[in-house]
Amino acid sequence: MSPEAPSIPRPIRWRVFRRSLFLQASWNPKGMQNLGLAWALYPALCWLYPEPEARKAAVLRHLSPFNTHPYVAAAIVGGVLFHEERIARGEEGPERVEAFKRALMGPLAALGDGFFWLSLKPAVGALCCALVPVLGAWSAVLFVVLYNAVHLQQRIKLFRLGVHKGDRLVEGIAEEHLPVWGARLRAVAAACAGGIAAWLALQFGTHQGGWTGPLLAAGCLGLGAVAYGLVARGVSTYLLLVLAGLLAGVAGAFL
Amino acid sequence: MVVHWQDVAAAGAWGGLLALERRAFLQAMLSRPLVAATGMGLLLGELETGLYIGMLLELFHLGSAALGAALPENETLAATGTTAASACMATGEGGGGTPALWAVALLLFAGLGVLGRRVDRRLEGVSAHLADRAQQLAREGELERAVRLHGFGPLPYVAAFGLLTAGCALAGFALSPLVHALPLAGLRGLAWAFPAMACVAAALAARASHAQRGGLWATLAGAAVVLGTLVSGWFSR
Repeated sequence: MSPEAPSIPRPIRWRVFRRSLFLQASWNPKGMQNLGLAWALYPALCWLYPEPEARKAAVLRHLSPFNTHPYVAAAIVGGVLFHEERIARGEEGPERVEAFKRALMGPLAALGDGFFWLSLKPAVGALCCALVPVLGAWSAVLFVVLYNAVHLQQRIKLFRLGVHKGDRLVEGIAEEHLPVWGARLRAVAAACAGGIAAWLALQFGTHQGGWTGPLLAAGCLGLGAVAYGLVARGVSTYLLLVLAGLLAGVAGAFL
Repeated sequence: MVVHWQDVAAAGAWGGLLALERRAFLQAMLSRPLVAATGMGLLLGELETGLYIGMLLELFHLGSAALGAALPENETLAATGTTAASACMATGEGGGGTPALWAVALLLFAGLGVLGRRVDRRLEGVSAHLADRAQQLAREGELERAVRLHGFGPLPYVAAFGLLTAGCALAGFALSPLVHALPLAGLRGLAWAFPAMACVAAALAARASHAQRGGLWATLAGAAVVLGTLVSGWFSR
């Protein structure tokens, strides 16, 4: 590519973005997302490096170990395009793109894990579980819609940030205030979980009826409170689930 | 034993498809328990079974996440396998899903998440082999072939989890006569077990939310629900 050559055409950029949605498909303990990254970038590398040797070197440098959060990876994929354009023009050396990936994959993974995996997913999951009594099966549809409204919009935004800002994408990500939103979403998750626990206990108590109804409701709530305390002390969650089931089963059979 | 083979095939296909979504493409949360189990219930004609098992397992696995190279339990297999088994237990003897059947399925199959993680770990070896082969091909200049190997990564997952889910559906049909032969007291006890397990799962979800003062938020919301129910019950009288 000559120094005057234009940047990567938009259809190729979007092809790279679409391929980045498959980033994790060949995740492995050695190279992690390396093959996925090389596959996503391949259309752009073919366009930037028509000469076989330069193209081979470009593919090989993206087959080195790479791992980050799969959504936030969109920012790195965009940033790699930003750098590869400059490398192809001869404005910077290939070590710049490798340093860019190394510097950002860890911090962005932590940011993505904290926001998407540990905040957005639990909050949307707990909210939709709490809405099961109201919406029925539509709560599963709502889960997919709500989660992806945020997820897909962020993924596209991060990719654009990477393509247009390169190393300065960090400033754009900082403006999103993801950790602040994450803390709020985690509180939503906890509140929804508490709400659905109480609703379940009351509903099954009402359904049972008679003198055992209030007993079942109170027993369920008590079991939940005990489980909350025990799991903090390292008791296995499976053990708690099975014990609760067996205890209630024995009570139901003999009362 | 009555087996509806079309249900076994549908369960396997849905399990395999979700393994693809969870592992390889998009990760749009179609493979989360609430969605995966509801979809399985819809496919097998037991929507309510899928919805309630999915809700319980969603809460139970609320905090699970693939952080770094760590592998979480495979909550998708737990959800699809448990729902398939429960739905097939119900249809095997011609009845519908009940909380007692959901409880039996959960007690027997909820631990599938642990098995799923082991399978995930085993199959990573196949992906590592693909990545090594891709490196070798790229060094030889076969770039197109090297990067195309990426597309083969999810195939073993689709096959393995499809078969495991179909196996759960078959197990459901096999267990159906035994469960339907349980005495009435046993069935009543199992019907009590489901709400108890759901409450415990919700409490575990409040803990897994990692929220600051998560216990306080959960207690306040629970108290609001109890109060709201009591007040509305009092007014309706």
